[in-house]
Amino acid sequence: MEEKNNIKEAFNKSLKGFLSMFPMLMAILLLLGIFDVYITKDILLSFFISNNFVDTITGTLLGGVLTGNPMISYILGGELTDAGVSLYAVTAFILSWVTIGLVQLPAEVEVFGFRFTFYRTLFTFITTILVSLSTVLTVNWILS
Amino acid sequence: MKIIDLEFKGIKFLFFVIIIYILIFLFDGEKSILALTKSFEILLKLLPIFVMIIFITTLINYFLKPKMIMKHFGKDSGIKAWIYSIIGGIVSHGPMYIWYPMLSEFRKNGLKDGLLATFMYTRSIKIPFIPIMIDYFGVTFTVVLFTYILLGGILQGILMEALSKKID
Repeated sequence: MEEKNNIKEAFNKSLKGFLSMFPMLMAILLLLGIFDVYITKDILLSFFISNNFVDTITGTLLGGVLTGNPMISYILGGELTDAGVSLYAVTAFILSWVTIGLVQLPAEVEVFGFRFTFYRTLFTFITTILVSLSTVLTVNWILS
Repeated sequence: MKIIDLEFKGIKFLFFVIIIYILIFLFDGEKSILALTKSFEILLKLLPIFVMIIFITTLINYFLKPKMIMKHFGKDSGIKAWIYSIIGGIVSHGPMYIWYPMLSEFRKNGLKDGLLATFMYTRSIKIPFIPIMIDYFGVTFTVVLFTYILLGGILQGILMEALSKKID
């Protein structure tokens, strides 16, 4: 009987935790709808200037602003590569798409605090650039 | 559980987004409806994941008591905690924000910031989407990228930990 109560208690606790975040989740979902409608592939392409290092930073920033299903980032990344954008920039774009997420930052601040969110985002930004550069350099070295 | 007991988070954020929608509706009504439809579609896709997360959190609340969380993921946790964080990051489905309730609960019970940062970064390895990534970018690229993501995740965790210790 006590076990049953404990499970019920555990369920109530998790449901309460989830419901308390519901307004935040709704806000993020509504913002994603706006991003999806207004930010097109052509708008994204216009940000790249054919400089590997600058484009890697641009890719990180753009991926960080956008968010959504990672599959979409792969598809967009593939199209950007076909359009001539460097693999450095595309790698940064698909990585920061999942790891940064500007849309969810207000929510992250509210849940984990400003200090954690600020440093995590800063380190993620730096790590993403390093991972992108290292990945493409290594791939080029392996395939050369 | 009473609704009155709940401390809602993000009310101001939601209010701000609703105002943006009202402004878009006034100036570009058609696109505001499109955006709303898109948001609704995303919500529908996420519903099964919401249920899964409530289920997982219930199991964690039941089996993993705060003391155990402290022991496995707190200040005195060892290398196993890093491995759990990496694996947790890789296998966790859906967008980051839907994991906030569970992670918040863990953090209240002592989860280290470094482990949290590692979990968040290694989430960029998405097992279900590996075939799509290979299709677009090739096997070599995918393997090399995932290796560096793991290293990057650990690096971030170490940096966050060092920062936490410095501040403490």
